[in-house]
Amino acid sequence: MTVERAPAGGEILRMEHITKRFGAVYANKDVNLDVRAGEVHTLLGENGAGKSTLMNVLFGLYQPTSGDIYVHGKKVKIESPAQAVKLGIGMVHQHFMLVEAMTVFENIILGDEHSRGIFIDRNARRKEIQELSEKYGLEADLDMPITELSVGAQQRVEILKALYHGCEILVLDEPTAALTDTEAEGLFEVMDKLKSEGKSIIFISHKMREVLKVSDRVTILRAGQSVETDSIGDVSGEVLANRMIGRELKPSHYEKVQSEKENVAILTGVSYHRSSKHNGLNDVSLRVRRGEIVGIAGVDGNGQSQLAEVLTGNISPEEGSVDLMGSKVVTYDPNGFILKNVAHIPEDRNKAGLIGNMSVEDNLVLKLTKDSRFSDGKGFRLKWKAVHDYALALQKKYDIRCSSVKEEARNLSGGNQQKVILARELEASPDLMVAVHPTRGLDIGAARFIHDSIIAERDRGCGVLLISADFDEILEISDRILVMFEGQIMGEFSGLHPDIQAISVAMAGK
Amino acid sequence: MSSFIANLILATVRMASPLIFLALAELYEERAGLVNIGIEGIAAIGSLVGFMISLISGRPGLGVLAGAGVGILVNMIYAYATISLCAEQIVYGMAINIFAPALAAFIYRVYFGSGSELVQANLMITLKQALGIQSDNFFVNLFLDQTPMVYIAFLLVIFTGIFFTKTRAGLNYKAVGEYPKAAATLGINVIGTKYLACVICGALAGMGGAYLTTCYSRTYVDGNIAGRGFIALAAVIFGRWSAPGVLIACLFFGFCDALQIRLQLVNSSLPYQFFQMIPYLATIIVLAAMGIRKAGPKSAGQPYRKEER
Repeated sequence: MTVERAPAGGEILRMEHITKRFGAVYANKDVNLDVRAGEVHTLLGENGAGKSTLMNVLFGLYQPTSGDIYVHGKKVKIESPAQAVKLGIGMVHQHFMLVEAMTVFENIILGDEHSRGIFIDRNARRKEIQELSEKYGLEADLDMPITELSVGAQQRVEILKALYHGCEILVLDEPTAALTDTEAEGLFEVMDKLKSEGKSIIFISHKMREVLKVSDRVTILRAGQSVETDSIGDVSGEVLANRMIGRELKPSHYEKVQSEKENVAILTGVSYHRSSKHNGLNDVSLRVRRGEIVGIAGVDGNGQSQLAEVLTGNISPEEGSVDLMGSKVVTYDPNGFILKNVAHIPEDRNKAGLIGNMSVEDNLVLKLTKDSRFSDGKGFRLKWKAVHDYALALQKKYDIRCSSVKEEARNLSGGNQQKVILARELEASPDLMVAVHPTRGLDIGAARFIHDSIIAERDRGCGVLLISADFDEILEISDRILVMFEGQIMGEFSGLHPDIQAISVAMAGK
Repeated sequence: MSSFIANLILATVRMASPLIFLALAELYEERAGLVNIGIEGIAAIGSLVGFMISLISGRPGLGVLAGAGVGILVNMIYAYATISLCAEQIVYGMAINIFAPALAAFIYRVYFGSGSELVQANLMITLKQALGIQSDNFFVNLFLDQTPMVYIAFLLVIFTGIFFTKTRAGLNYKAVGEYPKAAATLGINVIGTKYLACVICGALAGMGGAYLTTCYSRTYVDGNIAGRGFIALAAVIFGRWSAPGVLIACLFFGFCDALQIRLQLVNSSLPYQFFQMIPYLATIIVLAAMGIRKAGPKSAGQPYRKEER
C-alpha cells in the first residue's frame, strides 16, 4: 500500500492526549506530539519518562488507555504493528527485531506484500532492495547472516527493512545507544538523506549533544507527560537539559553533613571495559568516608551498574585499585566483600536482591546461615525456631507488611520487598553500603522509609554510596554528589546547596 | 543382490515411513516455536481410530483420514493450553502422552471387549497389487510394492522442503519460530501460525499412528507406537530442523529398526531383546553426538505473549 506524501512541512502525524496506564502506574499521561513531513523530531527525556511507551502505542504494540492518533489528518486506530506499517510508520526498536538465523535478504522481505506469488521472487526483490540501499546510502550485504553483522550494520538493515515496507515516518528508538562514534556519524548522514527525501524521523534520545546536532524540533517528556515542543534554533542545550530534568531546588528533609572521618572505600583509577560508553568505567577515582552519603547522579546506563558491581565484588576492574576499610582488595568475589562488611542493595530486587520463591524469613537469614545464632556447625543444621523469631523481630522493626514471614517473597509489594532487603543488609551493621536505585518503583511512603533508614545508617557511621537515576532522590539525601557520564566522573558537587544548573549540564556530558 | 540386503532395504523404507510422518509433525510444530513431545500420544490415538474406522468401513484410506482428524482434535488441547494460555509446553506434551494412549486403550476395551483374540482389519493394498504386476524384481518391489502412504510420506518431505526454503509463507512461518515479536511487527499472524502448526502436527502425527494399523500391522495392540514419537523428536534434531535432514534421519532410524527385525530372523542364539534395543541405542548415540550444538528455532519452547512490558 502506498501512502500519499504530505506537502513538505505539513503535519503528517498527530498524537493527542495519549494516556497509557499499566495497572495503577501511568506510563504516559495526556501526551501530545505532532510530527511534520521531512523533519527530525526528537523525543527527549530521562529513562522511564515514557518515550518508549509512547512509541509502542504509535506502533500498535500497546493500546492507549485514552487519546487519539491522526495520520495525514485522518483519525486512525492502530491495533497492531501490521496496521502501523500499512499507515507508513516504521520503527527501529532498541533491541533489533531481526531474525538471527536468517540472512539480511530474508529479514527484509519477511511479511512482504510486494507480490502475491507463492514463491519468493528473489531477483525482483533483490533489485528493489538494492535500489533503496543505493538511494539512501544504506549498504548491506544481502546474503550475510544477521549474526555476522556489526551492530551498526544490523541497524542499517532495520532501517532498510522499514523503508522496504514503505515507511513515511521512521521511529528510531535510542539508535545511537549501542553505536561507536563513527557508526553514529554514518547514521546521522542516513537521517539527512531520509529527511531530504521527505521522510519524517522521530528520534528518541537523551544525549544532548546529538539531539542538538540532528533535531529540527524537540518534544520533552517528563514523568510520562509532554512538557513542551521547541524548534531547535530557539533553545540551548542547557535549557533543554533543565526542562528534561525539570526541577527547582526543593529543600531537603534531611540535614546534610560534611564528614571528616576515615575513608571506608577508595577507588583509584578504576577502569572496566573502558571503551564501552554505556557499560564501562573509565578511570574512576572516588572515595566514601564514614558517616556520609555520596550520591552518583547521571542518566541510566553511563557505567553506574558497573561501579556498583565493582564495589560489591561482582566484577573485577581491569585497571586501578579498590581499598576497603584501609586495605587493598586483592580478589574480587561477593562473599569476600560481604565479609569485609559491605552491604548491597542491588538495582534489580527481583533478580539479585531476593529469591522470590523462598519465604520472607528464608530471605532474611540468607547471609547469616553460618552464624551460630541460627545454625549448629556453621550451617550444618539450621535452628528454624531462631530464624523464625529473628524474622518476626525484623518484620516489626522494618514494618514489613506480609501475611506471614513464611509467605513467598515474590508475593510482597515492591516496597515491602525492598524493606526485606534493607533489613537483611542493615542488620549486619555495614561499614559501606552500596545502594542502587533503592526506591525505584516505590510509593512515597515506602521511599521515605528507605531514605530514613539510609540516613540513620549514615548517622551510625556507615559510608553510603547511593546510585540513582532519580535526580530528586540524589538531591534529597546526598551529602556529596558525583556525576557520571559515559563511564567517567564529570564533577563533584556539594549536597548542601547543589548547583542544579551545573549538575544538569554535567549529566548531559557537556 | 542377496535377499538379506534386498529385504533390509525394503523394510527400511517401510519402517521409515511412519517415522517421516511423525518427524514432519514435530518439524512443523518446532518451526513455529512449539516443542511438542506429545507426538507419541497423538500417534497412539490416531493408530486406534485409524484401525477402527478401517475395520468398520473396510477402507484403510478412510481410517488414515480419521486418524488425522482425531490427531488434530487431541492436539487442540495442547494448542489451546500452550498458545492461548501460555502454559508450559513440555508439561502439556507429557499430558497428551499420558492421556491419549490411555484413551485409546480404553476405547479399544469398550468397543472390542477384553477377549484375548485380536481383531484383524484389512491392510492398504500396494501399488503393485493394484496394478496386478506379478514381477518380483527388487526395483519393482522397491518402487511399486508400497502403499500410497509411503508415497505420501516422501512427497510430504519434498513439499515441506520447498515450503520452508522457497516460499514466502514458509519464510514467514519460520520467523514465528525464531523471533515471534519481530514477526508480529511485520504483520505476520503469530498466534494463527502457531495454531496452524498444531493442526498440521496433529494431522501428520495421527496419520503416522494410523499407518501402523492400516499399512503395517492388521491389528491394534496397546503400545504399538513403541517410542516412535520420541524417535521422531530425535530425528528432527538429527535432521537439523530441515526437511531433507529429517528424511535422512528417518531413513537411518528406519534402517536400524529394519536391521533389528532382520537380525532377529537370522540369529536365534542371542535373546531377541538385544536386537530390539538397536533403534533406541542408535537414538541415544545420535542425540549425544548431535544434541550438543543447539541449532533449532530460537523461540522454541517459549510462550508468546502479546502486550508485554
